[in-house]
Amino acid sequence: MTPVATPDPLSVTFGALADPTRRAILARLAESDASVNELAALVPAISLQAVSKHLQVLERAGLVTRGRVSRQRPAHLRAEPIAEATAWLARYRRFYEESLDRLGEHLSRLQGS
Amino acid sequence: MVEIEFARTYAAPRELVWDAWTDPDQMAQWWGPRGVTTPRESIEVDLRPGGRIRFEMVDDATGARYPNSGTVLEVDPPSRLVYADDGFPDGTGKGTATVTFTAVDERTTTLRVHIVADFDETVRAGAERGWGSQLDKLAGYLAPA
Repeated sequence: MTPVATPDPLSVTFGALADPTRRAILARLAESDASVNELAALVPAISLQAVSKHLQVLERAGLVTRGRVSRQRPAHLRAEPIAEATAWLARYRRFYEESLDRLGEHLSRLQGS
Repeated sequence: MVEIEFARTYAAPRELVWDAWTDPDQMAQWWGPRGVTTPRESIEVDLRPGGRIRFEMVDDATGARYPNSGTVLEVDPPSRLVYADDGFPDGTGKGTATVTFTAVDERTTTLRVHIVADFDETVRAGAERGWGSQLDKLAGYLAPA
């Protein structure tokens, strides 16, 4: 597993995720590996070339690997970058959401309501 | 760099919300997630540009202490506070927080916490701590907004 050569891997992850077609591709790959043809069927009126470009972006972000054996080179989801992003975000969100809830309760107590 | 924003509207005058956020006596009563206490004696807030912010959060269940610190970058009471957060002891959470207090009316205040987080450090620290693959979170994350 070669790290992506960038100073900020998570920004690459989030950048790759910031596109509805790429998210649809990843959601499909979460079920099983799929060929370019199968992925193109997900989105109406998308060309094979467009799907290939999206796959290249996902590959560069380390989110997808491509098979080397079969001619169809099925795409395979690599979830680690997303797991790192979501695990941290979930912790961070919880920290702030709960703190802000408690601030609201504190402000209510202060005002005797 | 990744940006995150939290917003809440409180039924309280703006000055009250500002004081609750910046006064150590009040911070001790609410700061931190549920199950965590921030003891008053651990809190120092030097509310001027370059001033330091320090506090320790204590896990109520285990007693584990989580020191935290930062540096004030901008302060404009009662409307705006910007500080650089040194992050959590595990190396995550470094970033800059901009907290704005907007009066909706005399008794209502919208608080916004806008954070620009340094995710590079976060990922490195996370990798060291062995955060594994968490496919269960994938579906939620991928759900279209």
